[in-house]
Amino acid sequence: MKIIKTLSLGVGLMAVAQFTTAAGAGNTIETVDPEADRMALQNFYKKRFPDTELDDYVNGIYSVDAASRAQWEELEEFPPYEFAVEEGERLFNEPFANGKTYASCFANDGVGIRQNYPYWNKQEGTVKTLEMEINECREKNGEKPLKWGKGEIARISAYMAWTSRDNVFDIKIPEDDPRALAAYLEGKKFFYSKRGQLNLSCANCHLQGSNVRIRADLPSPALGHVSHFPVFRSKWGELGTLHRRYKGCHKDSRSKPQEMQSDIYRNLEYFQTYMSNGLVVNGPGARK
Amino acid sequence: MKKTLLLSAAILLTPTWVMAETLKEAFETHRAMYGKDHTFTWQGKEYSTNHPEELEARVEPTQGNATALLELAKAENKKAASVGYEWKLTRGLLKNAEAAIKEGEYQRALNLAAQAKYHARIGIEQHAYAEKNWQLSVPQ
Repeated sequence: MKIIKTLSLGVGLMAVAQFTTAAGAGNTIETVDPEADRMALQNFYKKRFPDTELDDYVNGIYSVDAASRAQWEELEEFPPYEFAVEEGERLFNEPFANGKTYASCFANDGVGIRQNYPYWNKQEGTVKTLEMEINECREKNGEKPLKWGKGEIARISAYMAWTSRDNVFDIKIPEDDPRALAAYLEGKKFFYSKRGQLNLSCANCHLQGSNVRIRADLPSPALGHVSHFPVFRSKWGELGTLHRRYKGCHKDSRSKPQEMQSDIYRNLEYFQTYMSNGLVVNGPGARK
Repeated sequence: MKKTLLLSAAILLTPTWVMAETLKEAFETHRAMYGKDHTFTWQGKEYSTNHPEELEARVEPTQGNATALLELAKAENKKAASVGYEWKLTRGLLKNAEAAIKEGEYQRALNLAAQAKYHARIGIEQHAYAEKNWQLSVPQ
């Protein structure tokens, strides 16, 4: 009898443990808790890289790999994105055919606002990104939209990030609209789901695999991922937007990537930027 | 004494229970070790290491058969795409299969279509797995 009781207790404890893990994972709209997710992610990295200050994660791989950081610091003496920022400023201030400029479409005339993107737009029921609103501004003023990944849109976005440097990300998930939390959850789910022929999730490389070699590359930590975009990647030889990078990363898992500014990539950006709340904008950045 | 015996039994039996190999795992192990056209035994029954799509490609290499398999592969890939789990190389395989049919190389077309169908099927399985398990790697 005693044995049966002990066994029952053991099985019971195992079952409860399973249940607790599932509930704690925040994988449903009822259980998801963005703030708990953010703290858990920070704690993960505190344990993983105990010598790295939280604020330094905005520097990506350079926050955890000393050799890469030394090279990057030299590169930053003559930042490769400098001319693009100047060009972005010129484009930002150049009047459209109707005489208006981008400043007319944004709060604070578009200066120092990068930290507020992406945000949940209740009226439209969707996540809005900075690049999305740059193109909406153009269309509203009778101009053709720009291509999403590089070129003018990246330069304008880079200038806007430049004017926002050191501003702290404070992404909100409004409680009065459950669709916002659902969008966050979709982004979170995408981040942690394995996909493609290589069966890799974003988390495989940027959590478990951060600072672990994949051939000659060292994947960056996920914390602070969005803070430095758009980036000048040496591989690209030019500036590119966050969604260009998403597309490339997605392709690297041998998946057919989604379209830039698709719902799922915007939700992913929403989740990732929320994870970086409390960190500062330091875009545009330079990366390998 | 009784307690010690029970403990030993529990320690001995637990790994067997936890580690029991599924048919899928047995298939994958044998496939990885011996490739296709190998036979293995699992729980007293014999199985082959061939993927279902490889068997589908083992038909008479005619235009009709190649076209039929290509259509099945396209439909399967459409399903994978609809859940966001289409793989990168699949459309290329479908395109090459189509070209092989035009060139009259029906066996090559069958093989390419089979490969594309396999990609799509595994993509769909991957989606089903992710739906159930994605949260397992979320830090707590």
